[in-house]
Amino acid sequence: MTDHTTLPHRFFLSISLLSILAGSQPDLTKELVSLRSSSESGVIRLNDDTVSKFITSVPYSLIIFFNSADLNSNPLQEFLSEFAFVSASFIANNNRSDVANKLFFCEIDESSDSESFGLFGIQFLPQICLVDPLMENLQDKTGRMEEEDVDGTEESVLEFIESRTNLTVGPLRRPPLLSKTQISVIAALIAISAPFLIKKVLNGETIFNNNRVWLYGVVLVYFFSVSGTMHNIIKGVPMFVRDHQDSNKLVFFYEGANFQLGAEGLSFGLLYNVVGLLLAYVSNALVRVRNVSEQRVVMMLAMVVSLLAVKKVVYLNNWKTGYQIQTYWPSSWH
Amino acid sequence: MGAKKASPDLLNSSFSFKSLKLKTKQQELLLRVSILGLVYVLAFIARLFSVLRYESMIHEFDPYFNYRTTLFLTEKGFYEFWNWFDSESWYPLGRIIGGTLYPGLMVTAALIYWTLRFLRFFVHIREVCVLTAPFFASNTTIVAYFFGKEIWDTGAGLVAAALIAICPGYISRSVAGSYDNEAVAIFALLLTFYLFVKAVKTGSLSWALGSAFGYFYMVSAWGGYVFIINLVPLYVLVLLITGRYSMRLYVAYNCMYILGMLLAMQIRFVGFQHVQSGEHMGAMGVFLLMQVFYFLDWVKYQLNDTKLFQTFLRITVTSAILVGGIALGVGTASGYISPWTGRFYSLLDPTYAKDHIPIIASVSEHQPTAWSSFMFDYHILLFLFPAGLYFCFKRLSDATIFIVMYGLTSLYFAGVMVRLILVATPAVCLISAIAVSATVKNLTSLLRTKQKVPQTGSTKGVGSSKSSSKVTLDQSQPFQKNGAIALLVGVFYLLSRYAIHCTWVTSEAYSSPSIVLAARGAHGNRIIFDDYREAYYWLRQNTPTDAKVMSWWDYGYQITAMGNRTVIVDNNTWNNTHIATVGRAMSSYEDEAYDIMRSLDVNYVLVVFGGVTGYSSDDINKFLWMVRIGGGVYPVIKEPDYLVNGEFRVDKGASPKMLNCLMYKLCYYRFGELVTEYGKPTGYDRARGVEIGNKDIKLEHLEEAYTTSNWIVRIYRVKPPTNRL
Repeated sequence: MTDHTTLPHRFFLSISLLSILAGSQPDLTKELVSLRSSSESGVIRLNDDTVSKFITSVPYSLIIFFNSADLNSNPLQEFLSEFAFVSASFIANNNRSDVANKLFFCEIDESSDSESFGLFGIQFLPQICLVDPLMENLQDKTGRMEEEDVDGTEESVLEFIESRTNLTVGPLRRPPLLSKTQISVIAALIAISAPFLIKKVLNGETIFNNNRVWLYGVVLVYFFSVSGTMHNIIKGVPMFVRDHQDSNKLVFFYEGANFQLGAEGLSFGLLYNVVGLLLAYVSNALVRVRNVSEQRVVMMLAMVVSLLAVKKVVYLNNWKTGYQIQTYWPSSWH
Repeated sequence: MGAKKASPDLLNSSFSFKSLKLKTKQQELLLRVSILGLVYVLAFIARLFSVLRYESMIHEFDPYFNYRTTLFLTEKGFYEFWNWFDSESWYPLGRIIGGTLYPGLMVTAALIYWTLRFLRFFVHIREVCVLTAPFFASNTTIVAYFFGKEIWDTGAGLVAAALIAICPGYISRSVAGSYDNEAVAIFALLLTFYLFVKAVKTGSLSWALGSAFGYFYMVSAWGGYVFIINLVPLYVLVLLITGRYSMRLYVAYNCMYILGMLLAMQIRFVGFQHVQSGEHMGAMGVFLLMQVFYFLDWVKYQLNDTKLFQTFLRITVTSAILVGGIALGVGTASGYISPWTGRFYSLLDPTYAKDHIPIIASVSEHQPTAWSSFMFDYHILLFLFPAGLYFCFKRLSDATIFIVMYGLTSLYFAGVMVRLILVATPAVCLISAIAVSATVKNLTSLLRTKQKVPQTGSTKGVGSSKSSSKVTLDQSQPFQKNGAIALLVGVFYLLSRYAIHCTWVTSEAYSSPSIVLAARGAHGNRIIFDDYREAYYWLRQNTPTDAKVMSWWDYGYQITAMGNRTVIVDNNTWNNTHIATVGRAMSSYEDEAYDIMRSLDVNYVLVVFGGVTGYSSDDINKFLWMVRIGGGVYPVIKEPDYLVNGEFRVDKGASPKMLNCLMYKLCYYRFGELVTEYGKPTGYDRARGVEIGNKDIKLEHLEEAYTTSNWIVRIYRVKPPTNRL
């Protein structure tokens, strides 16, 4: 992942580098290479001053990611980091300078360099544009990635580059989830704590030996399973939606058998558990209670609550699915 | 159905068999056996709705392949079956049948068939296939009884048998005619688990051996065996963590794992996966861990000094972890151990499939489960399950730990994929049965003790000092008794609702063969559409035996099984490119499609069309999938070409490409002349509720060969190329 905190730092670095290089040698490729090497992922940050210099009649291609830090959009920044992966993979896979120097990955930020956006005629984000030696008009749409292809994945960027240039990026090299130092620290911690943990396990002193912990965990897993939490996570269902007609009204229950809203499922999971656990409590624990009046009250309460819960579930289930369950009697009884 | 409410404890007191002069224990045994016998019969007959409504026939799609292979097995024998190369499907590629299926189901049905023949019952193999699923469902109830008995008591076993006999979650895959792998696999799954739990409980080699053979049967029958080979090690691991390691566990697991693995390798489709695939590595890891535990135990026994043992422990554990880590790393890096398959991965990380594997995400069976599906398939068991969990924790043993783990893991997986509700069903039934049995037992014991108190009070009689102390107790008794009775009535009421729900669901939702369609007429009478079979028999009778039929892959198994003709693609979707070629042909213009069909030697094209009957799962509604799959391989096919503003239409506003592609032409050929509904113009499509956009369809390279009586299936003949001279 590209670390965004280093962006300003990188920006100043590139400015200072530019000022040195611009004065001495107009060899643009060399300049770009050095800019690239100063960036961690190899994505060059362009600004209003440098853009025009790098894009006029050049022997290389530039692939530009249009960004806006001001927009504060998470998907956009994630896409940028995917873009950076492709860049890093390209550099890592193409060691020969004659190949690597054919393509440079760049980024232009709207918040600081809005003029460049005008130069390219960018109206919306995210947008990726390829500037190649043959390109005449910067506002020409042919260099753009097609709108439906810009889906925020590295594969789409990869496909775009490989179809437009004759270069191959090669296999994508994702950075590992944990860095090497983190892994070594974790390994060391495990190695140190292992003897203690094993001793505890052998002596039976862990929290796993506590029945209650397991019971709570088990009921929780059950609750989440039957309330369709997986359905909510996979389909990205909201907890509730607003009514179409009246925006102040919230809709918690959805009519239709194959879909549900988040809160709906959770409330049903709760009802199942309430009835089940009350049943267990009444028939297992309550019978041992000495105080008679307490027994009476709790039993009455439990029965009323269970009855209401079951009625509610049955009613809502019939409403949701539209099924009318009926009994089958022998035909001679009619 | 009343049988299931009858726990023996209840009935012992009320029934009297004195006239038969049986002892109490004998009475109990008789009751138990007769209840179990009734449940056995119940499980069988509850699944016969489809046979009574329609006729004895195989359902849906995959079962037709299973039926065809079984037929082959009974006719040609086992070795021919094992080496069968099928040239009638996937033309021109063919398919190696013996090496790409789980033979358990076919072999089972063939054995039943041969046994019946041996006993001089001359039945047709089709009847055996149709009734295999109900037969195994009945057997499952027996296993459930023994399992329930093992983890709780006989009462729980009986209730579990009754619950699972009619539970919709299980019935959905085991009605008569659904001749699919799951039909025998659930029996095998439960049997393996039962035998393993028994082995852990007794530490006996024979039970462990039994469970290894159960596992072998499961592997031979269904790909779901992966669940067993992961759940059992997980269970063993939990027992190790919670300090329940024992010699019994060691014997049970090692025997089951080693023998089961060796036996499973005999199935060609599974092969050496047990030692190569990442999905099976957990079991091997736990196996090695068991050896470490055993070794440590032995060393501890040899070294009497605890300090010496501690040092030894530290060294062995560190080196064991190191060696294991290196072995796993080397195995994965060298490619010897394959990474997890997509489907398995999508179970662990539910969002994975949605992002990475569209072909898995697109199948309706692989959708995540909403709460209403749980309600539909489990009904009141959902209320009873938490209570059952509570009881299991009250009486924790190796067996109850197993059932709790089985229940939870399978329920989690059921939440991820609808079809896995099936796997969770036995566990849910067993745990709920514990709840019912324990509740009824507790409440009835409450009732009985209260009944005794007044008796003792009355015999002690008139003692004035004692009676005064009894007063308070006596006053509370009627109420407690009432409370217990009310609760019992409540439980029985719920159970009777369960029975009603299950019967209704079985009859209305799960007993449709989907090869014969039924609809209600205007006067409430039942109308049967038997067009599929009509079309397949037409193919069988009227086309050359070497004719090649092109259709969408859904109908491939049925055409080969019933029509006995070669197909281009079928439901075993192993070659995506081939399917995409068919998808491309269907979504191209006629002349382009003709070239593709010529290159595949196609003689007939079969399409399914619901415009006349209003049958909605026809090829026009599946058409976008053909475009997508075709476009996935051949970029010339683009989905937006068939849509208008992102909308799929067939009326006048449809896109020109849509109105002239092969699928549209074949479905709507001559349809423009037809009046389907009173008061509507000609060419009114009842499935989509619109008037079609292209009524004047001319075919150039194809000609209509046959259209079934309700137009559901339409078959076209591909004309030979015209003479160029």
